[in-house]
Amino acid sequence: MKKTFLLVAVAALAGGCAHEKTSYGDARGVETVTNTFGSTDLQLIAETMARSMQNAPVIISGNLPIVTVQEVKNKTSEYIDTRAITDSIRAELQKGGRVRFAVDAPGMTQQTDEIKRQQSEYYAKESAVEKGQMVGAQYRMEGNITSIVKEVKSTKDVYYKFNLQLWNIRNGLLEWSDEKEIRKTTTR
Amino acid sequence: MKSRLIMTAVAASVLVAGCATKKGFEQPGYAFGCPIGEQKVGSMDDLVRAKTATEGRRTTIQATEMRCSRAGDLLKVDANLNNDSSSVKRVSYKFRWIDREGMRAWEEESWKPLMLYNNSNMMISTVAPTPKAVDFRLVLMSQE
Repeated sequence: MKKTFLLVAVAALAGGCAHEKTSYGDARGVETVTNTFGSTDLQLIAETMARSMQNAPVIISGNLPIVTVQEVKNKTSEYIDTRAITDSIRAELQKGGRVRFAVDAPGMTQQTDEIKRQQSEYYAKESAVEKGQMVGAQYRMEGNITSIVKEVKSTKDVYYKFNLQLWNIRNGLLEWSDEKEIRKTTTR
Repeated sequence: MKSRLIMTAVAASVLVAGCATKKGFEQPGYAFGCPIGEQKVGSMDDLVRAKTATEGRRTTIQATEMRCSRAGDLLKVDANLNNDSSSVKRVSYKFRWIDREGMRAWEEESWKPLMLYNNSNMMISTVAPTPKAVDFRLVLMSQE
């Protein structure tokens, strides 16, 4: 009886001692926890693509060209939120002030719903937006991300290739394209 | 005698012209195309020292050369990194962009990891994210 009590007390004490520690880290630091797609890969791709695109002749020579963001296809074997990549690219380009963005396909429902809402009887006619005032994009941005994964006993090698393109909507010409490659190798 | 004099004069003028091209190439406040403000930069080593910083763990990777140019209204920077050791080295880098008033012209960039083979050089290139960025620092950190 005494022995059991002692064991329970020791276990409780040990449980209490094993405490968790939480700390804030550098959101822009190099993350190498695993070799799946991570924050460093996302930031690397977004920064490289945005810097390259804002130096494209079509962006430099254009007077604040209007771009719409289309899908980045995930052709890898893992889940990657490609919308997070295009959102980061868009944010960087928008901050650079050389490009304007038109509402994209996923945001269209919200946009038209808001226009319809403003045209309802609840809003003053003079301040409500009118239909047919939206501006169409001149260029569309789309891309894809692919990966090659090789694994033997204790080594796993992942190669990512991100490709982004800027297409002229009017004439269908490819105005700019760039790629970013990333290789990560993990050994146990 | 006269032709020898003319020859000497021509050679001297060519020499002077050559020197003038080299020394007079840079506009004031710039060295190797890079902005230096009022800093005294007399060589590539001076420029690299002025523009490079190390944070976190120190690395043996060193910037050995830097050149700048303009891409439209944006500052373009090329920097050569050298690994003169006999082993592969891993380093991360980022650029810090500074405006005309000496303030940050852009938010902190993400660290970019890099692998350099032993006894090798790697050229890293970047373009300023905004025309407001008129100066820069290259920041290195060891990933060993």
